[in-house]
Amino acid sequence: MSTVVAIGADAGSTTTKLVGISHDGVIVWETIEPTEPRMREQLERLLATIPGSGGSAGPTVPVVATGYGRNLVDTKHRRVTEITCHATGVYRSIRSSGTLIDIGGQDSKVIVIDAAGGVVNFAMNDKCAAGTGRFLEVVAARMRESVQDFAALALSSPEEVAISNTCTVFAESEMVSLLAQGHAIESISRGLHRALARRVASLARSAGAVAPLMMSGGGAHNVALRALLENELGAAIRLPAKPQLMGAYGAALLALRRAAA
Amino acid sequence: MDSTPTRTQVIAEHKRSGGRIAAVFPVHYSRALFRAFNILPVEVWGGGRTGNAGDAHLQAYTCSVVRGVLSAHLTGMLRDAELYCVPHTCDSLQGLGSLFLDLVDPGRPVIPIYLPRDEGPAAVAFMASELRAIYDRLAELTGSRPSDADLQRAIDRECEADSVLAAMLELQGRLALPARAFYAAARSREYLPAEQFAAAGRRLLETTVRREEPAGVPILLSGIVPEPEEILDQLDAAGASIVADDMACCGRRNYAMSTNSDPFGRMAEQILGGPPDSTRGVAVERRLAHLLSLASARRVRAAVFYEVKFCEPEAFYLPQLRRGLEEAGIKTLALEVDISERPSHQIATRIEALLETLA
Amino acid sequence: MSLANQLRYHLNVSIVGNSVLRLQRWQGEWQMSRPGSWQNAHIAPPVAVAPRLKELISRHYLKGQYAHLGRKVAWVTSGAPVEFLVALGYFVLYPENHAAVCGIRRMSESLCTAAEDAGYSPDLCSYARTDIGSVLTGKTPVGKVPRPDVLVCCTNICQTVLFWYRVLAHHFNVPLIVIDTPFLYTEATERAVAYVKAQLEDAVIVAERVAGRSLGFDKLKQATRYSRQACELWMKIMECGQHRPAPITAFDEFFHMAPIVEMRGEAFTVDYYAALLAELEQRKANNIGAVTVESKRLLWDNLPVWHRVRWLSEMLAERQVALVASTYTNAWGELAHLVDPERPMESAATVYLHPILNRGTGHKLKTMRRMVDDYQADGVILHSDRSCKPYSIGQIGQRNRLADELGAPALLLEADHNDPRAFSNEQVATRLSAFLELLEK
Ligand code: SF4
Ligand code: SF4
Repeated sequence: MSTVVAIGADAGSTTTKLVGISHDGVIVWETIEPTEPRMREQLERLLATIPGSGGSAGPTVPVVATGYGRNLVDTKHRRVTEITCHATGVYRSIRSSGTLIDIGGQDSKVIVIDAAGGVVNFAMNDKCAAGTGRFLEVVAARMRESVQDFAALALSSPEEVAISNTCTVFAESEMVSLLAQGHAIESISRGLHRALARRVASLARSAGAVAPLMMSGGGAHNVALRALLENELGAAIRLPAKPQLMGAYGAALLALRRAAA
Repeated sequence: MDSTPTRTQVIAEHKRSGGRIAAVFPVHYSRALFRAFNILPVEVWGGGRTGNAGDAHLQAYTCSVVRGVLSAHLTGMLRDAELYCVPHTCDSLQGLGSLFLDLVDPGRPVIPIYLPRDEGPAAVAFMASELRAIYDRLAELTGSRPSDADLQRAIDRECEADSVLAAMLELQGRLALPARAFYAAARSREYLPAEQFAAAGRRLLETTVRREEPAGVPILLSGIVPEPEEILDQLDAAGASIVADDMACCGRRNYAMSTNSDPFGRMAEQILGGPPDSTRGVAVERRLAHLLSLASARRVRAAVFYEVKFCEPEAFYLPQLRRGLEEAGIKTLALEVDISERPSHQIATRIEALLETLA
Repeated sequence: MSLANQLRYHLNVSIVGNSVLRLQRWQGEWQMSRPGSWQNAHIAPPVAVAPRLKELISRHYLKGQYAHLGRKVAWVTSGAPVEFLVALGYFVLYPENHAAVCGIRRMSESLCTAAEDAGYSPDLCSYARTDIGSVLTGKTPVGKVPRPDVLVCCTNICQTVLFWYRVLAHHFNVPLIVIDTPFLYTEATERAVAYVKAQLEDAVIVAERVAGRSLGFDKLKQATRYSRQACELWMKIMECGQHRPAPITAFDEFFHMAPIVEMRGEAFTVDYYAALLAELEQRKANNIGAVTVESKRLLWDNLPVWHRVRWLSEMLAERQVALVASTYTNAWGELAHLVDPERPMESAATVYLHPILNRGTGHKLKTMRRMVDDYQADGVILHSDRSCKPYSIGQIGQRNRLADELGAPALLLEADHNDPRAFSNEQVATRLSAFLELLEK
């Protein structure tokens, strides 16, 4: 296995991801864990496990940290926002300009990338949970389904209940009443995914989205959301090989660039 | 400005000397008019830990400035004020003024001030008549009737303070000061008597190191009020230097000068001739031209619109202003906050990401 | 307008359009007259003049579609003085009304989204978002909306309209006439009236320049006279609601008000309201209620929830509740007595300073108290409209006082007049039911 020459650490609100890359920018090591309440200790522990990179003394190769907990790493490491990291990672993976959509647990982001891989514009959802992955987590949990299974239900339904309210608080009561009215859970699920896709599509349009569309983050694994987003925005979505790792990967690439500079 | 007295000290001092205090809400009014009656206007912009007592009277879709002001009143934070003055800034402050007059007993006189949404002769005449009516109210309250000469002198003092503020704004970004310190100094205009502000401002300008160039990426800050102040630290930390200001509490009150021999006409012309402001409802083109000229004079690379959630005057202008600036090669970022809450992590991320795109 | 265009306008609007619309109206009337054509057991069949209303509104928008053939077009706010524009021959379009039509026809959601896509905050008034969305996408349920030659914005309903019209002025690059009406915290002062009058005079100059003709004083008086007559009739129509059972509800008024808002100053509006009033008098005489069985009566405050008018009206009717009046529809009638056709400019300055939205929260409370009395209402629904701050701020205190003083139940109902996304059927249904249970006690 080639040696790790640069590391990216993405401390997200739900999962923490680390990626080590070789000098030609290929992922040679990766790890992903649920984020623990003690993020700082977790990051230190994970950084120490990277093969051949300094052990408990911490990595000797450059590290870039990103994500929600980026400021918790040792100050000798650089911190870069998820926006730049996701863009960098996805650009390297897909090698195209376009619009990157990242639907995370807390945030949804839309990032417009130019032909050189730079960020032209970005937009993030506003404070409430509507328009983020959290919205689906809440309703799926209420249905006693995993988010994946809930998405599969949505795709299996030819019908769709119209749900316009994406307020998480409202949606829950709305959903219960729809069930009580005898609507199938499949069509409700489809309606909820549609509502979220609409919110995100609106965010994308406000950021001045251009084709092609790309997706990263946990939301990329949601088949229903993907399909409905394509439908809302009228363009196909391209996925990088490891959508969830794109933040960490981009961070590692930035670390490598810095090392080379 | 270490020696600058605090709000509490200023209020106590003014009362000790026999003066009265008016709590004034945003944005435009005439300080000179109050000072001529020995009333010190102390502005309340709703920030700080005011709690949410205001929710008992205001729906959740009212902006945090108005809710903060009402909460401050309800929790006794404004007890030093002998009267309230409510400028007619927007639908929400209009509502607050009306609540105080009709539904929520303020326990003290409340003086609304109408702000004409026009700048022609009829508007100036109306504003002057409005100020004259307030003069009568204040005369009735205090039993004194300052002469025109007294008024003119009070206006002169405010003009002096305004010109110091203008000098500070002109040098903003080149003064080696953290953003928070700069705004603390500039915003002390909100409670310091004009002469004290002018002196303190001059001292600051003399004693602060001036840089040739701003330390960080030059940005323009637009919005209503830079609160909570953590936002300013976040901008500093991300490597931005605020070099141009278009905040309602600051740069948009860098009032015009007027030489009208009628003091009321003079005050009216100053307010209505001030920089283009959303709450005065000026044309989009004028606001855009103003921002573009600020931006080109100070070589601004990005404009940050720091907005209060539910603030309609601001939100309507945003898309067209942003488009105009972007077309001129200036990046823009719009942030939305509740001024009574700490800025979210996401706000810091957006600011950092903006600066990364400019790197 | 050129002769050719005049002919084309005449052909399209006056000949073909009018005949088609007249035919549609006859069809409507015929259908309504057939036994069994009305199915709702809780609500009385619509008034016989209803098809005429439809005809009026369709003809209005039809005229708009062909306005480019020679008439100048003014877009105006709902509270703006319109008589001088009518007298100058303008086709007058009300973006707020148009937005309401979009709301009724279930288009407002997608139009609001289009505005949001362009960067307009979802916290802005949903009329403004609907309108901006329609301007940006060209989508409308009325065929085609004519481009403005001039914009007229009067701040007597809110400051929001000023910012909204600034956006429009920038977009269309046309003159904007602002009529700034100082808010009346207490009473109107002479200087405020003088200020408004001065602006009206300036407005006429701009409007004349754009129209390319000068204002005929007789025409202005005539338009003002029609305005006053229409307002008086409208007031009488609403007052029919004081009868038990009420022959008309506020839900009906929400639709019948279209002409008083957007076709004020026209003779046909006067005729229409005269016919409607006659029919309501007939219903009163025959004790026909708009709600088949009327047990309780309610007052409504604030704008309608356009996208749920029917849903709400059916829900209340099923519970034998009639919404007998609203402060909203009342606003277009209560000032009739101030309109003086002999002094059109002076009286306009006074009239347009006094809409309920330009007056304090205490005045609104007083108005509600009086209406509760006049209409013998058993309770009040205050629609807390997320979109409309001037109408909504103060409602918490108003609600509390009404409930305390009258011992009548008063409900604050959270919604949005034109954005269905800010509305939860479930939540509203639950709250409303609980409120009606209180009322029935
Ligand atoms: S923040 Fe905006 S809405 Fe709130 S008081 Fe100020 S101008 Fe009005
Ligand atoms: S709904 Fe309210 S805020 Fe909107 S335009 Fe009408 S009065 Fe103004």
